[in-house]
Amino acid sequence: MDTYTLFAGQFLPFNERYLPGGHNACAGSGTALALRHVYKALEDKSTDLAQARWDETPTGIFAASETPGAPVLIIPKAGENRLYICFDAEAVGKKTIPDQLIKKSPAKAAASGCLYAATASPSHPFDLIEKIRRGWSIAGSAYIHILCPCPMSWGFEMENTVRIARMAVEARVFPLYEIAEGHYNITVEDMRPRTVADYIGRQARFASWKKAQIATLQEQTDRLYAQLHNSAAHEMN
Amino acid sequence: MATKSSKQMTAVSKLLDQLIKDGKVESFSAVEKPLKPVWDKLVCARCALCYLYCPDAAISRQADGYFDADQDLCKSCGICHRECWFGAISMQEVE
Repeated sequence: MDTYTLFAGQFLPFNERYLPGGHNACAGSGTALALRHVYKALEDKSTDLAQARWDETPTGIFAASETPGAPVLIIPKAGENRLYICFDAEAVGKKTIPDQLIKKSPAKAAASGCLYAATASPSHPFDLIEKIRRGWSIAGSAYIHILCPCPMSWGFEMENTVRIARMAVEARVFPLYEIAEGHYNITVEDMRPRTVADYIGRQARFASWKKAQIATLQEQTDRLYAQLHNSAAHEMN
Repeated sequence: MATKSSKQMTAVSKLLDQLIKDGKVESFSAVEKPLKPVWDKLVCARCALCYLYCPDAAISRQADGYFDADQDLCKSCGICHRECWFGAISMQEVE
């Protein structure tokens, strides 16, 4: 079997230098998984990682209404430039409203001077690693927004963390795209998307949602994805 | 305050250990053992998906190219079992 098969995962470095096991995160934590891949992407930049610091709330220009209090990892780059990585577990209090599910902070970051802004999900690890490396190598500030499913507060079985993250991408609630120097690019695109109801119906935090709310979210998702698609297609031509 | 609460915690855990020893309280670890991933090497294709998706960095590659979990680091979340493309991982009680 090994003669003709090739798996991309085997080309990753098989060492865990910065996030060794034994940390205190919950079982099945999406944040721990995302952080592991971030460190894996930046593992040959060890001197700069030592100066990285955590911030409780997105500072100043990136203060996004949909992520109050989300932890942000700020890594200094050359000059005044920074690499901001936001780990968004959508811990937004008791009520989850459609506005908080749809992320606008990458567009805000791009508008406020970041040369590179992107969304990433731990269910697509190679996409995540590539975006982190691109955000690092670009000559300017960069912002990367990572969706981190949390089994405890979202209300799903802890073995489904990666599935839920993948569903968010497939339902286009959390599309994976990048804005590099003003150019939009959708990095993961599904031709046959899931319905939003499929994504929402598997989490206890949406148990009280009415059908009308789901329909509203579906409509908002479709509209924003169409906008995103338009701006990406416009750049291509 | 922190030192006081940690002192209290050690006192409680000492008491609990004594009670378990005397047989008055049944310990959780004796009642239900957490399930751990076990690889079926005949089915495993060594695609490294389980390694990629483990949040606790418990899974590592062995010398023969197959994967195995560190029982001390594994938190029994079952992501590897769920994500394995080939169904090679089953969650079992491990001694």
